[in-house]
Amino acid sequence: MGRDQIVVGLEIGTSKVCAVVGETRGDGTIRILGVGQAPSRGVRKGEIVDFETAGKCIREALVDAEEKSDVMIGSVYLGVTGSHIAGFNNRGAVNIPEDRDEIFDEDFEDVQASAREVSIPAPNAFVHSLLQHYYVDGQDGVLNPIGMCGRKLEADFHIIHGVASRIKNSQRCVKEVGLVVLDVVFNPLAAAQVVLDQNQKSLGALVVDMGGGTMDYIVYVDGAVKQSGALAIGGDHITNDISLGLRIPMAKAERLKVEEGSVILGNSRPGEAIVLKDETGFAGKTIEREMLNTIIHCRVRESFELLKKRLDEENYLQFLGAGMMLTGGCSLLKGINHLAEEVFGLPVHVSHAQTVSGLTSAFENPQFTTAIGLIKYAEAMQPAQPIGLLQGIIRKLPFFGLW
Amino acid sequence: MIQLHRNPSSARDVLIKVVGLGGAGGNVLDRLTLDGMPDAELVAINTDVQALAGSVVAEKVQLGRTTTRGLGAGGDPEVGYTAAEEGMEEIRKALEGAQMVFLCVGLGGGTGSGAARIVASLAREQNALIVAFATLPFAFEGKRRKAQAEEALAALQRYADVVIYFENDRMGDAVAPLAGIQEAFAVADQTLSQSIRAIAGLVRQRGLVHIGFDELSTALRGAGESGAHCVFGYGVADGDNRAHEALARALKSPLMDKGRMLEDARNVLVNVAGGPGMTLNEVQILMEELNRHISDQTRLLFGAAVDPALGGKMSVTILSAVEGAVPAAIEVRPRPAARVETSPASVPPSAPPRLPEPAPALHVVEREREPEPAFIPAPEPVPEFRPVEAELIAAAVPEPAPLITEPEPEPEPAAPAVAKQAARAKAVQAKQEQMQFEPATRGRFEKSEPTIVDGQDLDVPTFLRRNVKVK
Repeated sequence: MGRDQIVVGLEIGTSKVCAVVGETRGDGTIRILGVGQAPSRGVRKGEIVDFETAGKCIREALVDAEEKSDVMIGSVYLGVTGSHIAGFNNRGAVNIPEDRDEIFDEDFEDVQASAREVSIPAPNAFVHSLLQHYYVDGQDGVLNPIGMCGRKLEADFHIIHGVASRIKNSQRCVKEVGLVVLDVVFNPLAAAQVVLDQNQKSLGALVVDMGGGTMDYIVYVDGAVKQSGALAIGGDHITNDISLGLRIPMAKAERLKVEEGSVILGNSRPGEAIVLKDETGFAGKTIEREMLNTIIHCRVRESFELLKKRLDEENYLQFLGAGMMLTGGCSLLKGINHLAEEVFGLPVHVSHAQTVSGLTSAFENPQFTTAIGLIKYAEAMQPAQPIGLLQGIIRKLPFFGLW
Repeated sequence: MIQLHRNPSSARDVLIKVVGLGGAGGNVLDRLTLDGMPDAELVAINTDVQALAGSVVAEKVQLGRTTTRGLGAGGDPEVGYTAAEEGMEEIRKALEGAQMVFLCVGLGGGTGSGAARIVASLAREQNALIVAFATLPFAFEGKRRKAQAEEALAALQRYADVVIYFENDRMGDAVAPLAGIQEAFAVADQTLSQSIRAIAGLVRQRGLVHIGFDELSTALRGAGESGAHCVFGYGVADGDNRAHEALARALKSPLMDKGRMLEDARNVLVNVAGGPGMTLNEVQILMEELNRHISDQTRLLFGAAVDPALGGKMSVTILSAVEGAVPAAIEVRPRPAARVETSPASVPPSAPPRLPEPAPALHVVEREREPEPAFIPAPEPVPEFRPVEAELIAAAVPEPAPLITEPEPEPEPAAPAVAKQAARAKAVQAKQEQMQFEPATRGRFEKSEPTIVDGQDLDVPTFLRRNVKVK
C-alpha cells in the first residue's frame, strides 16, 4: 500500500530543535537518512515563547538536516507538547439507519464525530482521537465492524486536546520558515510508535519521554491508548536547580548534570568532590558530588511522584505487562531507571527508537526518539493519502497497527 | 419555564432574617451590608450599646438592659445568657414572621456564646428554618475561650437546622502570614458573609435543577460526627473559559485543599448558576472536572440555575461534609420537635412557649419546612455575587450539624461535646499545612508561565521546597 517516501519529523523541543529525515519503505520499515539539529532558544516548557528566535532555530535545524541527508525538505510532521495538552477517554455511538443493517465505513466517521461531541475547555482544540475498541450492538471486542450487521455501532476513543492557539503558534512558526505542516502529533504518541512494538502495546506499557522542558507520557493497555498528557517539568528544571543550588552558571550546571550527575544517593565517597576549573569570568568551584546528586535526585523523584499521582487517577499502572519505557534526554541520567522502578513499582527500561535502520547514532540516542517517532507515525498514516474509493477502508487498517 | 408554585402568593416573600449576635455577628452584618444582601432583613443583637450604635444595620436589639446596663457581657457566657433571657420578648419581636433565620455569631465571647441558643430557640418558635454560621476563636485567644465556644457550638447544634462553622485558625490559609490582625479578622467576616450570601442564593435561586434545603442538609449530613468537617467553596468567573475558572476558584478555597478534601466526601452539593447564556456544554465541562475530585461512591447533589443577574458570569457553589476517620453509619434522625429539651440548667422557667407537645410540633415543623426551599423567590436573586470576591471565598470550615442529634432529653451535653470538639479540632489541625514562604528563586523560569501542581510552584527547586540542606 505504501511507496518509498521521504518523510521529515520536526520536533521543536525546549533544549533543541531537531529534524529527522527518514525514508519509509513499502514494507513498513524506516531508514533514517539524516538528522539535523540546532540548540533551541525561545522555547520554554515545550512551548514557543519567542516566535522569531524559535523560527531561526528551526531554520538552522532544517538546513542542517538538508545538508546531512541531501534531501530538499518541503513538508514536515510536527510534534507538539506542553502542559496544556491533555487526554481523556470517551465513547461515541451511532445508530445505523433503518434502511440497511450493514455497517459501512461512513458510520466510522460518524462514530468518531460522535465521540468528539464532548465538552473540552473553550479555547481547546482536538489534536487526536485514537480508536480503542468497537462495540456492535453492545458486543465487545470487535476489531473491524465494517461489513458486519448491526443496529448500533459504538467506539471508545482516547481524545487528546490542547489549547488551539498554542498549537497553532507552533504550526505558524514552521510555516513562516516556508514549510508545509502535514500533521500535528502529540509528542509521546510519536515516541511510543518507535519505542513500543505491537506486542508491548498489547501487553500494556507506559512511555515517559522526559525532555528538556516537559515530561510527556502515554499509557497503552490492550493495544490502545488509555491515558496521555504532559507535565511541564524536565531537564531544564534539573539544570536550574543545580545552578541555583550550587550557585554556578546555567551552562556549567548543564554540563555538570550531563557529565557528572546521577540520581542515586549514597554512591559517592564521603567528601568526594568535583572541581570546576577557573576560567575567564568564572572563579572555579569545588562541588561535593553528593550535593549535586541530592539536588538531581530530589527533582527527579518529585517529578516521578507527580506523574505517578496523575497516573494513579486512572489506575492503569497495574495492568502494564511490558512495564515502563523511559526515553528523552533525561533518560540518559545515570541511575534514573532505578529511581523510576522504585517510584512506579514497574520494570523500567531506558529505551530509544527501535525497528528503524540507517544512522545508528541517530536512533540510538533517546533524544531523537520523538522526531523519529514522527516518521513512524507518518508511515502509519500514509495510506490516508491515496485517493479513491478504497480510501476509507485502507485508512482504517493502520489504526489497528498504531493503536 | 412554567413553574407551579404550591403557594404562589408566598413564593415571593420567603422572609429571610439575618441575625448578627454579639460583636463578631455585628461585624459580619456590617460586612454583609457592604457586600449587599437585598431581600433580607438584618437584625443586630448585642449587649454592648456602643457596638450596637456603631452598627450600620437598621434593626437593633439591645439585650440585658438591667443585667449589663448597656455594657458588654464581659466574655462571660452566663452573663450573655441572662441578658438574652431578659431580652427574649424583644428578640421574639425582631424575629417575627421570619421563615428563614441566618444566625451569625462569633462563639467564645460572652454575648455570642451565651445568647446563641436562646436566639436559635426563639427562631424555632417562629417555625423558621435556622442556619447558623458560627466562628470559633483563634487559638491565641486562649483555651478558656475555646472551651466556651465549643460548649456553645454544641448547644447551638441542637437548636439550629444547619450549623456551619468556621475556625478562625484555618483562615490563616487565606491570609498572608504577615497580614495585620485586623485583616485576619476581616477575612473571617468576609468569608462568613460570602457563605451567607451563597447559601441564601442557593435556597432562593430559581433553579432548573433545584437545590433545596433537603439537599443542603443531605450534603452536610454527618458533619456533626467527631473528626468531621465541612467543606465550602464558591467561585465566579466570566470569559471564554468561565466554567473552568469558576470551578478552579471554588476549589482554590483553602478549606478545599485544591479539591482534595472532596475525595472523602460522601455527599457533595454542587450548584451551578449562570446567565441565560450558560450552555449545557459548560455545565458538562465543569461537572466533569469536578468529578475528578470526587470518588465514584460520592453522591453528587447537583443543582443548576439560570440567573439573569449573573450576566455573562458563571458561579459554582460547593458544599459538603467530610467525615472523620470513622465513617460511622449516619442515619437521618428526625429533627427533634421544636426542641424537646434544653439543657436544664439553661432553660429558665421563663421560656414557656418553647416546648409544647413535642410530637405534634415535630409534624408541624416538618411540613412547614420541607417545602420552604421550593418556593421560588424573588426574580433577581444573588446579584450580590461579585467575581472579585470569588477569589477569596470559600474558606471556612463549616461544620454543620444538619439535623439535630438526640431527640430525647440529654441532660449534660457539655462534657462529651467538648471531647468531641477537641477530637475534631485535632483532626483539623493535623490536616493543616505549613504555609509556604515563596522563595523568589525560580532562576531561568522567572519570566515563564509557572508550573503549579497541587499548589506548589514546581519551578522553584525541589530541594528548596523540601528543605533539603545544600551547601
